[in-house]
Amino acid sequence: MTAIPARSWRQLRLAPPLLPLLPALVWLPVLLMLPAVFHGGGWDLIGQFARAAFSPSLDPQVLGSALSGLGVTVGIALLGWALSLALGLLGGVLSSRTVWRTATGSALPAAWMRRLLAVPRAVHELLWGLLLLQLLGLQPVVAVLAITIPYAALVARVVSDLLDALPTKGLEALRLAGAPAGPALLTALGPALQPGVLSYGGYRLECSLRSATLLGVFGLGGLGTDLRLTLQSLQFHELWSGLWLLLLVMLALEALLRGLRRRWAMPARFGLTHRSVGRGGREVALGLLLLLPVLVVVAMALGVNPLQLGQLQPLPPWSADWPAVAALPWPSLIGSTLGLTLLAAALAVGSAPLLLLMMAPWPWGRVLMQAIWALGRLWPPPLTALLLLFVLQPGVLTAALALAFHNLGILGRLLLEAEESASVLAEEALGAAGTGPRLALLYGRFSVLARSYLAYGAYRADVILRETVVVGLVGAAGLGSLLLEALSSFAIDQLIALVAVYVVLTLVGEDLSDRLRRRLLAA
Amino acid sequence: MTPLNFRRRPRAGFRLALLAGLALALAPAALPPQLQRAAPLLAGAQARQKQLRISAIPDQNPEKLNRLYGLVASELSRQLKVPVKYVPVTNYTAAVSAFRTGDLDLVWFGGLTGVQARLQKPGARVIAQRDIDASFHSVFIANTSARLKPLRNVKGLAELKGKRFTFGSESSTSGRLMPQHYLNQAGVKLRDFAGGAPGFSGSHDATIALVQSGAYQAGAVNEQVWKSNLRSGKADRRRVAVIWRTPGYPDYHWIAQPNLDQRFGKGFTSKLQKAFVGLRRSNPQQARILELFGAQKFIPAPVSQYAAIEKVGRQIGKIR
Amino acid sequence: MTSSPDRPPLELRAIQVPGRMAPRLMEVSLQLRPGERVALVGPSGAGKSTLLAVANGLLSPEAGEVLWNGVAPARSRRRRRRQQALIGTLWQDLRLIEELTVQQNLNAARLARWGWPRALLNLVLPLDTAANAAVLERVDLSALLLGQPVTALSGGQRQRLALARLLRQDPLLLLADEPLAHLDPRLARELLGLLLEQARGRRALLLSLHRPDLLDGFDRVVALRQGRVVLDASPSELTGSQLAALYRSEA
Repeated sequence: MTAIPARSWRQLRLAPPLLPLLPALVWLPVLLMLPAVFHGGGWDLIGQFARAAFSPSLDPQVLGSALSGLGVTVGIALLGWALSLALGLLGGVLSSRTVWRTATGSALPAAWMRRLLAVPRAVHELLWGLLLLQLLGLQPVVAVLAITIPYAALVARVVSDLLDALPTKGLEALRLAGAPAGPALLTALGPALQPGVLSYGGYRLECSLRSATLLGVFGLGGLGTDLRLTLQSLQFHELWSGLWLLLLVMLALEALLRGLRRRWAMPARFGLTHRSVGRGGREVALGLLLLLPVLVVVAMALGVNPLQLGQLQPLPPWSADWPAVAALPWPSLIGSTLGLTLLAAALAVGSAPLLLLMMAPWPWGRVLMQAIWALGRLWPPPLTALLLLFVLQPGVLTAALALAFHNLGILGRLLLEAEESASVLAEEALGAAGTGPRLALLYGRFSVLARSYLAYGAYRADVILRETVVVGLVGAAGLGSLLLEALSSFAIDQLIALVAVYVVLTLVGEDLSDRLRRRLLAA
Repeated sequence: MTPLNFRRRPRAGFRLALLAGLALALAPAALPPQLQRAAPLLAGAQARQKQLRISAIPDQNPEKLNRLYGLVASELSRQLKVPVKYVPVTNYTAAVSAFRTGDLDLVWFGGLTGVQARLQKPGARVIAQRDIDASFHSVFIANTSARLKPLRNVKGLAELKGKRFTFGSESSTSGRLMPQHYLNQAGVKLRDFAGGAPGFSGSHDATIALVQSGAYQAGAVNEQVWKSNLRSGKADRRRVAVIWRTPGYPDYHWIAQPNLDQRFGKGFTSKLQKAFVGLRRSNPQQARILELFGAQKFIPAPVSQYAAIEKVGRQIGKIR
Repeated sequence: MTSSPDRPPLELRAIQVPGRMAPRLMEVSLQLRPGERVALVGPSGAGKSTLLAVANGLLSPEAGEVLWNGVAPARSRRRRRRQQALIGTLWQDLRLIEELTVQQNLNAARLARWGWPRALLNLVLPLDTAANAAVLERVDLSALLLGQPVTALSGGQRQRLALARLLRQDPLLLLADEPLAHLDPRLARELLGLLLEQARGRRALLLSLHRPDLLDGFDRVVALRQGRVVLDASPSELTGSQLAALYRSEA
């Protein structure tokens, strides 16, 4: 018999199935802290809010206003998405190392493009919206552009990553055979790029709908505006009319995109395997062709006028008081923003697998959980935050819960998608040997999902960092609160400084999460 | 055991989803007329020349604002013989910005937002204020369960330390600026409230509802809105009560763009002022407007009175 | 659950499983006595996999009774799990958990009996090293492999590990659906030897296979054709023509 290795602390290593659950440990301190911030003063209101879900207002005027608000939101989402996709593709090609190397022999311009595109990406669409509002006035273009600018930069980054990850053998062969750079790139890389771009593009449309709703919450038009006003005036029945409509649209959109993704054989969003191009090329082209007139009609209906872009207004008169700006309590502001980000990210990333595990034996529990996740995706975080304030004191924890609820909805759905596409065999084998459903799920399927889920979680963490700005209204929540206050005081110098800090933080955060993700996926 | 591995049917519901998606994509296109109404903010520049666009800071429930300013729009249109359109905005800051960018012609501002607007749009004209606005008051209200007794003087506000407290909008004069000014006088800082920060309910109606529900223990509201909530029975005296009334200060007023005379003809601005000042209780239509404004009449507003507001605004950092 | 020594680990009574065209199992009855080793033969589509799926509880028959240790499948989830814990299946595709170590995979066989604390601890620390080393030894694997990830093992090592996991589960009933299908002859013979060796004491073995040359070590051979039991004999009684008839195509 061979020597048996002795147990020691050195051997303490977390196996993959535990990794997605690790962030959920943050619930322990949160549950300890919760009683301290809980005041329960507004339980009545929460009860009224919940009951109103079953009796939304069916008043034709309310429904009419919600429907047309929804139309505006969907229109803004659609336009912003389409524009960002077009610009993003262009930007992606322009920031691809492969493309520059093929065209000019040097990849240096690609690196510069990437750095340039990092800045618009680092500013949340809400900030873009509020900044553009100052420059363009209350025009429909504002909301569309607010979505387009950061999204285009995001799409560009993803497209260039996809491009540079493609094998270049075919391209080299074509070049050696004397094909010019342009056609060679198109022939060699175009078709291979399609599934990734389609899948990601579809996902961006979902994001765009959420962003358009959020912009509405801050007064940039559409249903979000109604949602906020009805919530603030505690008209819960009217609020739910809008929420249910939005939920229907969101679920329809998700179902449509899921259907298309399957039909065109696109890879799952964070799947590790990329399947080859489906047979849907012609259908995709047809779909895009159909989309164009729809976009034009929507733009006309919304009154989006590209000419308005030429009518830039000057910023409001302002005087810079930089010493005063420098004297702001930066370390504590940044600290609480980072704390908020980490807390919200850990709560969101950890809760999704934890809930999935808890619900494993109960099919109805799973349905309920999915419904709650859908609501989480649907509700813009500031609305959740306002609702939480009925029973919790303002502060970082309350803001983190609001952000976490929203992101839990998004992460949860991704986790479910991944769970469905992961092999069920090991789990089934465990079940057949008498293992309970929860442990079978943990051992059998979480093992497979763990790394890719966490890698996505790392990406989500930097989205959350950008999003901290939207829960600023919960107060005491770092840079976001100060930013909203600065906006209402027209303190341009503070605004510039705050946005700059946000950009720097986001870029650093993005870099860190990239490294983490690469490590997770490489292991 | 291959027969046991059930694969999901990939195409299930695909057609349904496609239909839903198409309907979704076409929905905005199908409703253009309503859209324009729903997105009044987003109404473009097409009608800029001919139309007088009026607006107001959203300090009360939206449906009340719609009713009131709908009436104002039709009354002004009748008197001035120009199309008038009410354009709702969703927050105070947006109202100021839209005024600066020229998207709104005539806006019912609060004291603070009015000063902000005039600083950003030099030449803007103060048109009129209500009889109650020259000496306007805020009231501090408290949920009865908070056991706060009526205060004798401003120093008594120190009682609010450690309580859950909400203002109205960040830029509200009566719901934030002046209350915060008096809180400062009593030595209460914003971080002294429970949770380390006050809430911002967004509007006066919301503040009353939130304090009444117990979500906040105390809050500061516009006295006129408070009174109208008491009259309509929305505020329940058993659950929420006034604990202190501030001294008077100038507040709400109408402000117009400097270029109205060029756009609508010579003397338009003064006609506008006359239209407001001329509103009478004897005319039923005008009486309803005055009733909703909670005023007996409108009076011309001297610009000089807002210097005090500007000073407080600068102290608190809302004007820079 | 008490199980008296003379109860059959598995008893099927008139099992009926419908299929799309023809029934997958028709009136199949089968009893395994404690310690008995039974080979299940028959052409593809005869119903061997279905029968094994019924035997391990993955598939509930439309009609007929399944008895494990003389007891029908329990309604209560907890008791049902305790019954399942006594049924060990060797899967054709092994179904090892690739992301875990050998040790963790072996311990996974104990999850039905372990509570959450140990189940979670197993994902952090090496647990029950001695017991695991012992089962590895029984399938001729080195205990040094315990800390290795499953992905580091060779094909043959993986087969043995799957078997070791079964031993670690310590079931009363061993089921295997064509475990030898994709193995080279030498490995197949070795693995079969190990499997037959494990069915001792009260532990019974039911194994489906295609190859008549490997039937010698079994106590009984049961043949299925078109969802029915057509033959139930000891290997020594089995003649070549019987086997040939079994696999003849239905032209």
